[in-house]
Amino acid sequence: MLAMILAGGKGTRLGKLTQNIAKPAVPFGGRYRIIDFTLSNCVNSGIKNIGVITQYQPIVLNDHIGNGASWGLDWINSGVTILQPYSNNEGSKWFEGTAHAIYQNIDYIDRINPEYLLVLSGDHIYKMDYEDMLEQHKQNQADLTVAVIDVDPKEASRFGIMNTDENNRIIEFEEKPAHPKSNHASMGIYIFTWPRLRNVLVNSFKKDVEMNDFGKNVIPFYIQSGDNVFAYNYAGYWKDVGTIDSLWRANMEFLDRESQLDLHDQNWRIYSKNPIAPPQFITAKAQVKNAMIVDGCFVSGQVEHSILSANVQVKEGAKIFDSIIMPGATIGKDVIIKRAIIGENAIIGDGAVIDGTAEIAVVGNGEVMGVTLDED
Amino acid sequence: MKTNKMCAIMGNEHEYNDLLPLTENRPLSALYFDCKYRLMDFALSNVVNANIRRVYVILNEGKVKSLLDHLGGGREWGLDSVGSYQYLSFFGDIVQKKLNGKPYYCDVIDFLKKSMSDYTVFIGNKMLCNIDLKAVLRSHQAQNATLTTVFKRVPQTKIAKNDNVLTLDNENRVLNTAKFGNTALNNDLYNLNLNIFMAKTSWLIEALERGEENGAPASIEDFLLSQLGVVETYAYEYTGYLSNIYDIKSYYDANMDMLDPEKFASLLFSSQKIITRTKNEVATYFSEEAQVKSSHLATGCVINGSVQDSLISRMTLVDQGAKVDHALVMSNGVIKKGAVIRHAILDKDVTVDAGIKVIGTPNHPYIVAKGTHVTSDLIGGELK
Repeated sequence: MLAMILAGGKGTRLGKLTQNIAKPAVPFGGRYRIIDFTLSNCVNSGIKNIGVITQYQPIVLNDHIGNGASWGLDWINSGVTILQPYSNNEGSKWFEGTAHAIYQNIDYIDRINPEYLLVLSGDHIYKMDYEDMLEQHKQNQADLTVAVIDVDPKEASRFGIMNTDENNRIIEFEEKPAHPKSNHASMGIYIFTWPRLRNVLVNSFKKDVEMNDFGKNVIPFYIQSGDNVFAYNYAGYWKDVGTIDSLWRANMEFLDRESQLDLHDQNWRIYSKNPIAPPQFITAKAQVKNAMIVDGCFVSGQVEHSILSANVQVKEGAKIFDSIIMPGATIGKDVIIKRAIIGENAIIGDGAVIDGTAEIAVVGNGEVMGVTLDED
Repeated sequence: MKTNKMCAIMGNEHEYNDLLPLTENRPLSALYFDCKYRLMDFALSNVVNANIRRVYVILNEGKVKSLLDHLGGGREWGLDSVGSYQYLSFFGDIVQKKLNGKPYYCDVIDFLKKSMSDYTVFIGNKMLCNIDLKAVLRSHQAQNATLTTVFKRVPQTKIAKNDNVLTLDNENRVLNTAKFGNTALNNDLYNLNLNIFMAKTSWLIEALERGEENGAPASIEDFLLSQLGVVETYAYEYTGYLSNIYDIKSYYDANMDMLDPEKFASLLFSSQKIITRTKNEVATYFSEEAQVKSSHLATGCVINGSVQDSLISRMTLVDQGAKVDHALVMSNGVIKKGAVIRHAILDKDVTVDAGIKVIGTPNHPYIVAKGTHVTSDLIGGELK
């Protein structure tokens, strides 16, 4: 089975945080970038070949993934390949949608020639065994299996909803229905039997039948064509962190150990590209409570109910509450930060106040706030 | 710089009984340092930071597991990629060959020839420093000496009896060298040799070949020491942070030094990064009751108790009401509720039961051996 991770999304609703990086590259939990969860799930599920389709602001993502060595994907007959849009004799290949992105990379998939294609999005936080899903796909002799999670019925109208029969076969698909008939939401995780999908995509694009998007076009087409489409029920932790609010909340739940996301589990490790940094230094003046902190941090201020990512500096007298500080940020003396997300490498000048009590405050990547004295 | 201009020989021969039981099952160079490093990381990082890609490592037989586990294929140090070359050899093997009257430098000579390098640097295992070997090379070339060695001026409290001190002339040429144990104690500072040597590879090959004929020592470090001052030798002065590790106290103090921000910055935040094996651990968690001051922590820890002036390695639990003070806790430590750890070194995988005390003194930190489950108080701290 070959996995294709769709990582080209901009994540518009994350505002400043995705101004210069793609959404899957947004840091999470002090130690990770969002795509680490999907990549680690692949590796833990025994998948050896992964294509990562990028489009929007891919530089940080490309650097993060590299040759895949951090995930153990650098050995012979295995690998992670970053797939960028490119041009050829037929013109440029910018991706028009999820299915179109797969179609545009058909040459890559053909080289590997898999029996099954696992399509994933790179912007969800969850742990899942795709091998189990594949087993079910094979047992059902399905053409397509869609992972579904039962969501709060009140929220169901925000999702693509799968209506299934007693055999768990999907008989109807509704994209963001006003009056959902069930609460089985699509997680955007699909296993296709590749020869059939290849056929569908090639024929459709040849004949100009719109087949750009999995949700809008491909799944309805499969159902209408009488293909075997099954649901795979997933019940664990799964979080879309597509908005500032949900990103902040998911981090806080992780910190409060309220979420079922157990990252201490040595049997299902989440791997990441780890920076080479010294251990964290909590100085004599620091006050740290209810916090998560990683390597390279130098903390002289007060940190409460917050997450500090790699190489963050918190200077004397600074106070940080209910916030997420992303890698490399510097928090100046006597700064007060409440309910905020501070972007990567941001610099907060001495004495600045960032108050997100009303609405989560966001400082963008590399943004400089407040006066910074020219002293070091 | 052409990447194969220098090659390196890393000697790991030094072992001290005074470091037992910490070195019972691991060589000195695999001792932990500042939560996440091992001593070998410093020598190895010095080497790869100078763009040296060809490395010959001399190991002591019998205790290689932790070293090989840490080094792995050398990926973190870039020693697994095209153009790089590592060679491992056993010191005991060299000694045995010499005893049997066989050529004993042949492997290292073979390595030197294959390295196609112009210069060779030798670096020992017990001097913890962050040195720019490219700068040493520039001085070596400018001084036009046959051999260059590296020294630092240190007080007598920082020198072991079997360390070597140098006598220099006004232009930092080595006049002679002596074991510190045989040196009259009449100075404030001594020129401590850092067991780092640099020479032209062609000279070294020739000297080793000649030495072998004359029964030179099996240890390449001892051989190079024997050449100091015999051939034209320049001494390069190192001015950065140094720790000389030869007993429990020097090991404990070197670690505690890292809690001084200046020393920490000098060793670990200089322009040259110290590379270590990367691990994937979740962020360290501090609970509502945690009280942490003046301490270093690696990742994967859970801190519910109090930690002061201590270094806590990966995956350690300090539970509610537990107090850790002036202690080194190596990875996977479990310090249960209300336990007290003061002036102590807990080796890997140590569990201290609830309410139990492990207390040593600043000069004699209490050592708890790897894997120990402590169920009754350990007070004292005399060295074993």
